[in-house]
Amino acid sequence: MLPTLPPNLIVLLVAIPMGSAVATTLLRGWSPAQRAVTFLSLLATFILAAIFYLPLDGAGMLVSQAGDWPAPFGISLVLDGLSGLLLVAASFVALAVYVYGLASRDQDEGRGWFHPLYSLLMMGVNFSFLTGDLFNLFVAFEIMLMASYAMMCLGGTKKQLSQTYKYVMLNLVGSTLFVLGAALVYGMTGTLNYADLAVRVAESTMPGGQPLPPGFPAVATMLLFVFAVKAALFPLWFWLPDTYHACSISVAALFAGLLTKVGVYSLIRLAPMALAAPNIREAGPIMTILPLAAGLTMILGALAALSMRETRRILAMLLISHIGYMVFGLAVMTPDALSGALFYMVQHMLVMAALFLGCGLIEHHQRTSDLAETGALLARAPWLGVYFFIAMLSLIGLPPFSGFFGKFLILREGFRLSGQGYWLLSALGLITGFLTLLALARVWGRTFWNPPADRAIAERLPARADAAAWPMRAGLAMLVVASLGMGLGAEFMQNRTGDATRELNHPRNYVAGVLGPNAWPEMTADTATPEPLGPPVSLAEPAAAAADRRTN
Amino acid sequence: MTLLLAVIVTVIFAVGVYLLLGRELKGMAMGIFLLSHGANLGILAMSGQPVRLTATGPTPLGPPVLTEATQPVDPLPQALILTAIVISFAVTAFLLTLLVATFRRADHLGADELANDDRPTVLTTP
Repeated sequence: MLPTLPPNLIVLLVAIPMGSAVATTLLRGWSPAQRAVTFLSLLATFILAAIFYLPLDGAGMLVSQAGDWPAPFGISLVLDGLSGLLLVAASFVALAVYVYGLASRDQDEGRGWFHPLYSLLMMGVNFSFLTGDLFNLFVAFEIMLMASYAMMCLGGTKKQLSQTYKYVMLNLVGSTLFVLGAALVYGMTGTLNYADLAVRVAESTMPGGQPLPPGFPAVATMLLFVFAVKAALFPLWFWLPDTYHACSISVAALFAGLLTKVGVYSLIRLAPMALAAPNIREAGPIMTILPLAAGLTMILGALAALSMRETRRILAMLLISHIGYMVFGLAVMTPDALSGALFYMVQHMLVMAALFLGCGLIEHHQRTSDLAETGALLARAPWLGVYFFIAMLSLIGLPPFSGFFGKFLILREGFRLSGQGYWLLSALGLITGFLTLLALARVWGRTFWNPPADRAIAERLPARADAAAWPMRAGLAMLVVASLGMGLGAEFMQNRTGDATRELNHPRNYVAGVLGPNAWPEMTADTATPEPLGPPVSLAEPAAAAADRRTN
Repeated sequence: MTLLLAVIVTVIFAVGVYLLLGRELKGMAMGIFLLSHGANLGILAMSGQPVRLTATGPTPLGPPVLTEATQPVDPLPQALILTAIVISFAVTAFLLTLLVATFRRADHLGADELANDDRPTVLTTP
């Protein structure tokens, strides 16, 4: 039985990584102690997140008001179904990637600074999941980004330094726009708290409510740009493949698992309830941009993956391409589609990190991940082959594996709302799945199955692969087993993600939890204004009836 | 006052973006610094007339710095600016360190030369 802890303790999920960052900074030069401290803090964060998250039922949430200041005035930390699930997944991925790194040389880069930066990054990630207001989200992003800038060029090689600029410059422009956007939101609505913001936006089209300033959709689009940079959406993904190629594999796997998802999380949290809430959806271009970006990200990412010839670059392009599915689910914005997007996000964290770690083991065995210079690895490292194969099938989305269930929900919602043109996105999603299969089949064939193309290369490869140290295999195995478990326990997971996203469009419980009961403005029958897209479809409602209502 | 601030912010942003589009890393870093200053001034301009939505409608307050002592001033934008300044301070330090490190490795700070040093390998022959 899990113990119940007071809700104020959720601050530990931020405080533990911070303490570990300070401690490992002081312990610099004594590497075993640094490793022990970081490992224990990651383990503690994961266990705590699970203890907080697992007992939450459908609408349950834990709220901590810093200093006991009431909600819109103080700093709120909120752990609800959405952020709780992502916290558990993120801390698990961080733990597994760290375990992998224990045996590789990645952690020795940067003369002992790897460990404090790793903890700082996790502090930023956890804080951005937990925070309940826009400005603290900015602060959390900055903590996370500062750590990631430094981790990216930790090796100090010329290649790493030159690639870091792309990432740093783009993200700094994004941060500037973020702080400006947050300030403008405050200027226009008088609040930064998510829940309070949702209330203002919902009230704005009610009779007697204060209408939003006409500039609000522009600010919403500005914030969308910021989150799209973090999430590597279509026109803004160019920094990702090169930077992930330059840094060490532990760093690449951690970034692949977590960084882009924080951007997608911010979109899922903010778009349905504030930036593109049901009652103001038609007011700005945001609902045109999201589906366009989703479709182009999916298809162009997969096509770019086909043109690459190094496993690491192929994986980076597929990572971008599959972000498109989540944004597709977000663009449809029905509870089912959002639930699918959340499911896909969690499985994408696990699977992408697993594939990058697998790629690290390929590089460990063959010295390179260039498809032209590898081959016949399956005979020499069969277990790596099995793990990689499972992770591949999950990403492609074949039924028993975890990728299928999220994708299925999203694509089904797309076809159900064909009247609004979403069938096109669903079709693109299916094509992307096929292209993913092609790209990964090339990796599988050239690296694991076929002998090397050139006899000279075959002779250069070691006859027996050097055994990878057990922590490397353990890290990969943790991720693959977790994603396998997600596929086999899909019903449990789908109930969880469904609970988390059911109310995102009309966050009654979230607002009540943060601001207190009766804060959410209930529309009575005679004062309700007709909404452009109709009321949200609830899970309990038969799909056909809901579809009728939407097409009317 | 708000109009003046708006014009200043626009000019700072324009210069910052112009510098960012250059091909020289030092200039790009200067562009980033200018952009963050512009954003801070933008927050100040934004807080000039807060539209705090009360039951009686928006109550305009004067510009925060120049308001008479009798009127309450919304302290939150100032707190935002303070936080943003601290963060941009850290970012400036990091960016300058990165420039020094790059110059030591590469002996130049041109974005084009750095990009040419490692081109991605793309599938050319089947």
